[in-house]
Amino acid sequence: MSTGILPPISARRRRTDRLMSGLFYAATGIALVPLLLIIGYLIKEGASQFSAAFFTTDPTGNFAGDIGGIRSAVLGTIEMVAIATLISVPIGIAVAIWLVEYGKRSKPAAIIRYLIDVMTGVPSVVFGLFIYVSLVETGIGGSGFAAWKGSVAISLLMLPIVARSSEVVLELVPNGLRESALALGAPRWRVIATVVLPTALPGLITGSLLAVARGAGETAPLLFTVQAAMGINFNLSERMNSLPLEIFNDVQSSNPAVVTRAWGAALTLVLLVLAITLLARIVAGRSRLKP
Amino acid sequence: MTVEAGSVGERSMLERSPMARLPDRALRWILTALSFGILLLLVYFFGKLSLESVDVFQHQGILSFVFSNDWNPSKSQFGGLALLFGSVATALIALVIGVPIAVATAVFIVELCPSRLRSPLTILVELLAAVPSVVYGLWGVFFLIPRLRPFEQWAADTFSFLPWVGGPVAGPSYFIAGLILAIMIIPVVSAISREVISTVPTDHKEAALALGATRWEMIRTAILPYSRSGISGAAMLGLGRALGETIAVTLVIGNAAVIGHQIFDQGYSLAAVIANEFGEASAVPLYSSALFACGLLLFIVTLVVNGLARYIVSLGDIERRVERARRSERKSAAAPGGAA
Amino acid sequence: MKFTKQAGALSLTAAAALVIVACGGSSSGSASTINGSGSTFAAPIYQQWGATTKTDDSLTVNYQGVGSGQGISELTSGTVDFAGSDPPMTAEEMVAASKKSVPLHFPTALGAITISYNVSGVATGLKLDGATLAQIFLGKVSTWNDPAIAAQNPGVTLPSNPITVVHRSDSSGTTKGFTGYLTAVDSNWSSQVGKGKTVKWPTGTGAKGNDGVAAAVKQTPNSVGYVEQAYALQNKFTFASVKNAAGTYVEPTLASTTAAAEGTTVPADLRFTISNPSNPAAYPITSQTFVVAYTDACKAGYTEQVAKGIKTFLTYGLGAGQDALAQLNYAKLPADINSKATAQLSKLVCNGKAL
Repeated sequence: MSTGILPPISARRRRTDRLMSGLFYAATGIALVPLLLIIGYLIKEGASQFSAAFFTTDPTGNFAGDIGGIRSAVLGTIEMVAIATLISVPIGIAVAIWLVEYGKRSKPAAIIRYLIDVMTGVPSVVFGLFIYVSLVETGIGGSGFAAWKGSVAISLLMLPIVARSSEVVLELVPNGLRESALALGAPRWRVIATVVLPTALPGLITGSLLAVARGAGETAPLLFTVQAAMGINFNLSERMNSLPLEIFNDVQSSNPAVVTRAWGAALTLVLLVLAITLLARIVAGRSRLKP
Repeated sequence: MTVEAGSVGERSMLERSPMARLPDRALRWILTALSFGILLLLVYFFGKLSLESVDVFQHQGILSFVFSNDWNPSKSQFGGLALLFGSVATALIALVIGVPIAVATAVFIVELCPSRLRSPLTILVELLAAVPSVVYGLWGVFFLIPRLRPFEQWAADTFSFLPWVGGPVAGPSYFIAGLILAIMIIPVVSAISREVISTVPTDHKEAALALGATRWEMIRTAILPYSRSGISGAAMLGLGRALGETIAVTLVIGNAAVIGHQIFDQGYSLAAVIANEFGEASAVPLYSSALFACGLLLFIVTLVVNGLARYIVSLGDIERRVERARRSERKSAAAPGGAA
Repeated sequence: MKFTKQAGALSLTAAAALVIVACGGSSSGSASTINGSGSTFAAPIYQQWGATTKTDDSLTVNYQGVGSGQGISELTSGTVDFAGSDPPMTAEEMVAASKKSVPLHFPTALGAITISYNVSGVATGLKLDGATLAQIFLGKVSTWNDPAIAAQNPGVTLPSNPITVVHRSDSSGTTKGFTGYLTAVDSNWSSQVGKGKTVKWPTGTGAKGNDGVAAAVKQTPNSVGYVEQAYALQNKFTFASVKNAAGTYVEPTLASTTAAAEGTTVPADLRFTISNPSNPAAYPITSQTFVVAYTDACKAGYTEQVAKGIKTFLTYGLGAGQDALAQLNYAKLPADINSKATAQLSKLVCNGKAL
């Protein structure tokens, strides 16, 4: 800011500037305080659990003695969330593409956009009950509680998050890029596949990850659609264990050892989502097209 | 592909063959179908919830269900006003606390912080989203409530001149629930705001700086206006999350079906009542119908709140447009004089 | 750049950990599985029994605590193989479920609700009767040195501080048991509040779960709350002696809990409810829990393997399983009820044929 050309910045403006910068620093700090507190709390309560046996044995149900680890819960969560992701991310991004590339400012697009926002406000427990009355009680796809029904419930939660965040990101792809590709004679689908999506990829991944993080930690939909199992199970049409339910059930126990397992499971869940986040960021970083 | 197309007789050189246009059409149809699939899904969802709620509406009347403050299932009284109030109050507290912090965090990460801190900070903020809601709730119960209680009491005593503040502090409360919700919406709101802010054209920012703006003035005049609609979209997602959050709120709101007099009182919310009472209710048809009706009510509230928010945002847009037009008028009027 | 490398290393480690976890798994084989849900109170029992039947009979038992009411509606809709329920099914529920096959009630264990307190100067041995408890939870007896409390505790110096009442904020069978007792012993309570898993509390603060109530009572001087017996015994909380219908003050031990069911009239279908027991040795705030299963599971749409699994599970539970209850801090059934329940096992059939 060479004062030679521009009039000097008044003390008041400078003060405001400093004050506001300070506020931005402070806000970021405040946002991170709860994270540190929660992680610290989880480590304090649950880190003592981490051992090879914790990750390689299933909960036994034993009250005293060997209560077992959380292997089946970890695998069940990975399996169910992976399937929910396979359902919700493609659909969510597809809807976002439609909104940005085709629907644009039209009435139908406005309605869909509105509905997606409304969908984010549907409580997870209501989606759980919805799947319960439409899939579980009716016994569709084999009787009763099943892992795939849990995945469907989770994907309903993830879908609006993926769609809305993807839309925001796709909206930001400069129109110039689209137009120049179209002007070069590329068909619309190629423009979308080779220009729009790669440009928006990091943002799309961020949105999907937020959705995965949300989906992985939900308890209520699983309670009404899957329910807990003890052992390992790869059959999607049966009950499957999961980390949120393991936490939910264990924390109510009167046995302090079981409660500690709940905190260990919670720490595991957070680390698991962290690992997924980091992995996806690295993938995104590698594949990003430099504009 | 276009090369082939150009050689075919009747079409113009630039027009594509029907075969070449097929993927485009197919894509368009698939995307449209998926989008309207959401409409169908929500219509089905709405229908299913309404069907399940009919019982309680017949028993109690829709108006009485929504507007009477008398939730007493053991006496078959299902007046949900206190639940509705709790949902709205906690979501508002969450937005008031969470959105400014989230947007400020986004601005800080994109504009103010040293570039080598950017990536770690981003991940740290997103990590807040990785904490499962049941953990937020439990942490609230065992950590936040006992530790914040003295501060809450102090705040309640000191600021008792404010509305909805003052009086004895309950452990679980609207405030604690709102605070936890604020923490939970920060990652979503911040992530989307960040994406939006990072795409503000450098030209705009540099233009502002070149005109002698301070950092803050640049943020205020170039970044925030440009990213406004994106940020409000982010806030909408946050609001949805706050209204619909279930387990965490159930654990920290106190689950008392009364309308509190102040933010440090216990309350209840629509989502919490379902999670908390469904296990008992499902054997009693009227009771479970009332809980489905709570879900329906919350769905309608979200519809209304989102509609309202859209309307307000659109109002803002018009005002801004008018203001901008005026300003540019003023500028163009002033410019010749300034130049001379 | 540096950060990305570290991140890469971190995530590789995480991925490696996952692979290890995944490879550690061995498939469970073709052993049979039964699924149940319902009473949260009884969840530790069925999980413990399931742990034993898994090793002894290769029978896996998955049990999810969701609440008695939901357990019953899930059994009725056929989404679970058996339900856990604290109260017996109502006549209406029996009719609804009997469309498939008549459900049988097997009592499995007993539990009590203890009154935990934190009163300065009274480390142990507080005595209360039902009416006083109701008055305290109604907010009418509001200080510890109230004559109603003092009269029952001669020689104890009670502070003049106000009483802080702590109750469950989540929907809970414990609340139902506690309010059910107050409803039975106090007409004011029954007319003003009533019983239920969630009630409109006239006074006090809510806390989540047994642990929440326990923590709140510990943290708040001069407070009182109610906690499930298993939780209180396991974590060595203070508990009050409560006066029973025979006029004796009884501590909530496992023996006094079992005594509460002795002398309770048990109908032929075993759908009994313990309510203010008259046995002088009985702890009064006691309740029972049942496993509910269809008489003819095969007719109700289940496989024979499931029907056999349920019988195996209950045979163990009513036999050796009763001795496992003590380590969980649940009380076992009195001998006469146990023998009736065991006799009822032979009613379990598959398409009319004995299992």
